[in-house]
Amino acid sequence: MITILNPAFLSLIVDDGRFGYGDIGVPPSSGLDRFALNMARFILGNPENAPVLEIMGNGLSLLFSESVTFAVTGARVKAVLGDVTVEPWSAVRVPKGSVLKVPEVLEGFRYYVGFSGTLEVEPVMGSYTTNLECRFGGFRGRPLMKGDVLTLRDMCEPAGFQAIPDELIPPMKEPHILRVLPGPEADRFTPASVKFLSHRDEALFFRASARLNRTGIRLEGPAVEFRDRVEQSIISEGTLPGTVQVPADGQPIINCVERTIGGYARLGTVIDADLDKLAHIRPFDRVILSVTDREEACRLSQARKDSIAFSIKKQ
Amino acid sequence: MVRERYGESGIRIVFGDGIDEATHETVRRFFLHFRSLRVPGVIDIIPSFRTCLIHFDNGRVRYEELCERIDSAGTEWQEMTLPDARRLEVPVRYGGDYGPDMDFVCSYSGLSPEEVIEVHTAPVYRVYAVGFMPGFPYLGPVDRRLYVPRQATPVLKVPRGSVGIAQLQTGIYPFESPAGWRIIGRTMVRLFDPATPPHSILSFGDTVRFVRI
Repeated sequence: MITILNPAFLSLIVDDGRFGYGDIGVPPSSGLDRFALNMARFILGNPENAPVLEIMGNGLSLLFSESVTFAVTGARVKAVLGDVTVEPWSAVRVPKGSVLKVPEVLEGFRYYVGFSGTLEVEPVMGSYTTNLECRFGGFRGRPLMKGDVLTLRDMCEPAGFQAIPDELIPPMKEPHILRVLPGPEADRFTPASVKFLSHRDEALFFRASARLNRTGIRLEGPAVEFRDRVEQSIISEGTLPGTVQVPADGQPIINCVERTIGGYARLGTVIDADLDKLAHIRPFDRVILSVTDREEACRLSQARKDSIAFSIKKQ
Repeated sequence: MVRERYGESGIRIVFGDGIDEATHETVRRFFLHFRSLRVPGVIDIIPSFRTCLIHFDNGRVRYEELCERIDSAGTEWQEMTLPDARRLEVPVRYGGDYGPDMDFVCSYSGLSPEEVIEVHTAPVYRVYAVGFMPGFPYLGPVDRRLYVPRQATPVLKVPRGSVGIAQLQTGIYPFESPAGWRIIGRTMVRLFDPATPPHSILSFGDTVRFVRI
């Protein structure tokens, strides 16, 4: 059993997402940093799609009332067991009675904690993840609170792969460079305000607003301008995570994982290889949008997969 | 029908330009047909007023393969007989605490509260899309006399069951949530139940009529 002594700013149970219900408006609600999420499972020998904790903020404190192995991935954090510093992105075995604390997040925003057993939560509509807005899934549909007790079942032993090599851990520092593919309404904007879409050496510079969460990340900066006499909104339709929408005020919003339908013009979509970065954009961070093409996006995605496969084989 | 790639893992298929019954029926035919194929690698299908967005896992199925699956169906699906739309009646309490924006709607439209209710309960609305949040139906078309703009700044919290109107659409908030539409009433019908299939009372293509209680 694991007792939550302090849930930090926000602790949620997440997985790869709730899919297959797009026609009734059910969003993915998935963990935002898919790589970190998967690596936590991988280190610990968890099955695919096992639930993991996604945490924001300083102060997390967990009490283990049984001997367990855990791993902290995602944002670079200072993690301690008593006075001893814990190596992140590694399997750490602790005896019964240990307390894991994360006093400080050093780089990045969201971090993930997995265990050598499956968190005992019931899947809702095929997924363990938390839909925070509608209060279902995860731990009773809500963030973890002080005093909550999590149980583990099907205890597993890490499969010998104890740590993720440093070269595989992506930088999470700002500025965050997000490459996009142009969206369906990209031609509704003035060429001058979206020069970056046609010139690879151009980019758009923003700061993330304080208004950001798992639903969306608002950007603030020079307004993206609509051409004269074009519709500024669209007839609401499907969107995907990473879609960059532009409301009438010209300040883009990046769609994260809690909406299936949107009504704003879509400037572009963040490429797969950069999607995990959304997890680590903090309020007021610099965010740079640049353009790429499909071949490059595909190559970047594949390169990342290959390097992961290679490093893991090497160990 | 125009299809285009959306990002890396989406295919967007456009069936028409506006909000109309004919476009809606084409989307519905395609959606029901394509869903029935259960193509491996397809993660989700999001139908709406005039488009269908297919979300796929590009590690499991190639874009070109999917396009072939879509095209090889030819026009067969266009002739398929649509299942009858389900008809639902949704009881609503209008105005007062249940409809905090009734005054605004009256002054904007020049109608009395009685007339607003009459105009809102008269049509049989179509569910053109379900989204924004689980189970939220985008219903239309709303009578032109009831045209109101959205809130410039969304209200932070409206109760579950709130019935709103905006820009010739009407909808129901299945959960307590922020809202950009003008709230004129509330229903006690529970629109979404995560625990029990089919989860959403309303699905794409159903018809709805509001009944005053």
